Amino acid sequence: MVADAPARGPSRSRGAVPSARPRRQREEELLVWPDLVFVEFISALVFTLTFVALAILINAPLQDRANPANTPNPSKAPWYFLNLQELLLHMHPALAGVIVPTVFLIILGAVPFFDTSNEGQGQWLSTPRAWPNLIVGFIVGTVGTWALIIYNSGKHIVVFERFTFDADSFDNFPPLIVDERLREWPESLNWLTSVRALQTDIAWPGELETIPLGETFVRTDLLGLPRGSIQWNFPAWIVEQAIPVNLMVGLPILLCLVAWRLGLAKTRRDFMILMFSGWLGSYLALTMAGTYFRGEGLELLWPWEVRPAES
Amino acid sequence: MATTERPQGRPLADRLYDFTVNNRVWRSIIRTGYPNTPRNQMLAVATNVFLHLHPTRIHRTHVKITHTYCLGGLSFFLFLGLTITGVLLMFYYVPSVERAYQDMQALQTDVRFGMLMRNTHRWMAHGMVITVLMHMMRVFYTGAYKPPREFNWIVGVVLLVLTLLLSFTGYLLPWDELAFWAITVGTNMIGSDPVLGEVNQFVMIGGFEVGQNALIRFYTLHVVGLPLIAAIFMAVHFWRIRRDGGLARPL
Repeated sequence: MVADAPARGPSRSRGAVPSARPRRQREEELLVWPDLVFVEFISALVFTLTFVALAILINAPLQDRANPANTPNPSKAPWYFLNLQELLLHMHPALAGVIVPTVFLIILGAVPFFDTSNEGQGQWLSTPRAWPNLIVGFIVGTVGTWALIIYNSGKHIVVFERFTFDADSFDNFPPLIVDERLREWPESLNWLTSVRALQTDIAWPGELETIPLGETFVRTDLLGLPRGSIQWNFPAWIVEQAIPVNLMVGLPILLCLVAWRLGLAKTRRDFMILMFSGWLGSYLALTMAGTYFRGEGLELLWPWEVRPAES
Repeated sequence: MATTERPQGRPLADRLYDFTVNNRVWRSIIRTGYPNTPRNQMLAVATNVFLHLHPTRIHRTHVKITHTYCLGGLSFFLFLGLTITGVLLMFYYVPSVERAYQDMQALQTDVRFGMLMRNTHRWMAHGMVITVLMHMMRVFYTGAYKPPREFNWIVGVVLLVLTLLLSFTGYLLPWDELAFWAITVGTNMIGSDPVLGEVNQFVMIGGFEVGQNALIRFYTLHVVGLPLIAAIFMAVHFWRIRRDGGLARPL
């Protein structure tokens, strides 16, 4: 059987990864001293001066002494974690705070193992469909994330009422739909005001909200352990876990499928660029929403309506 | 005749250079003169402790600014700058709930250049988070994670996490409202995991709420623990760049 092994093609599988630089081209090379060392020196100088200038011009904030008894509203994490804080508003805390970032970092680390070709290596976006994939991925990620944020914050109701002329709030706005019956969001559609409304505005049978997992299904008492009393809230599970997970897994897959059918993405590098750019758009949208659009009580507001935290 | 005479009126710069360089003290530090020949220039890089992480020659395209925008190097530069300003800040800061905030105020008002040091440290910290993220984008879009550089991409992801953790642990130290509540919100996120969350949060902040234990833990991690780990990963990261054949370029 060992003799069959080389038939699998070039021996790339174990240890024999081709060298990145099969032959040296001396005439293409420069000496590190002075060509690189001086560039590094100059850029270190420029950035030292830039940061010192920045430090002279803008002071780091120092607010009042910490007071655990006095919670500011809104209280926010550092800006680079506001994307996670934003996610927390939309799904189960364990999902947003731990599982999504962990799974994401593992997938991010695994990128080179999904895309193992040498295609497009070492040059900016040099594969044929790189730019279209980047642009489509970024736009879909940004717009899609914003659409989900707006939906889950119930702001599509505001948009709807603007179009149907809610006389109280928009005096000078011409009505686009004049039908009396359509002026307000119909009560029968209350379950479409946010994802959470699926739980609160649908008459779920009471037994679905308290499924006794611990007593009926997971019989820990049969193992000699105390009898569990876990109760499974099915509607909450749908809203907090099933829908977010399905969206976060399903929408990227859907985007890949559509891109594949349209001929936008063909190689693995294409799909990588599409997904990475989609993530980038989504990540920026979440960070922006968390930083600039969340006001008191973490309500979704316009940036100019957001006031600094009061404690 | 004239040919045997010492040349008269050499430029002042030349004489100064000779005076500085041609003496036993200077020569004991730097044994060679300015490296004028390619051979000496390569030796200068290969034999200098600070420069020898570089190869002696690199491909022509690698010094083009638009290829990398120096983002990885900038991240490292900011790490060094943060170390220097951070050490200076440590002189004036005591990580105790009673003193931390007072020390911050004293640093800003009583210490000469204290405000400048603190500002530089803070803006460099924000800058480093941004440059590390942008460096990752550069590496991705230039396809530089492809074989044989897979492992270095993973090391890079670890360094990204370490950068965020370094910034996060430093965020608590001023002990003002902003710091306290940002860390409370941040660690509550970790605590929200129903399985290990509470344990993790307890270990991280050393109690049920952010207090003295959290402050000393964050301080120790911020000034010693995480920088050491980051330095180790950086060493591997830079070494692997060379072992993997320098920066990625088309095959």
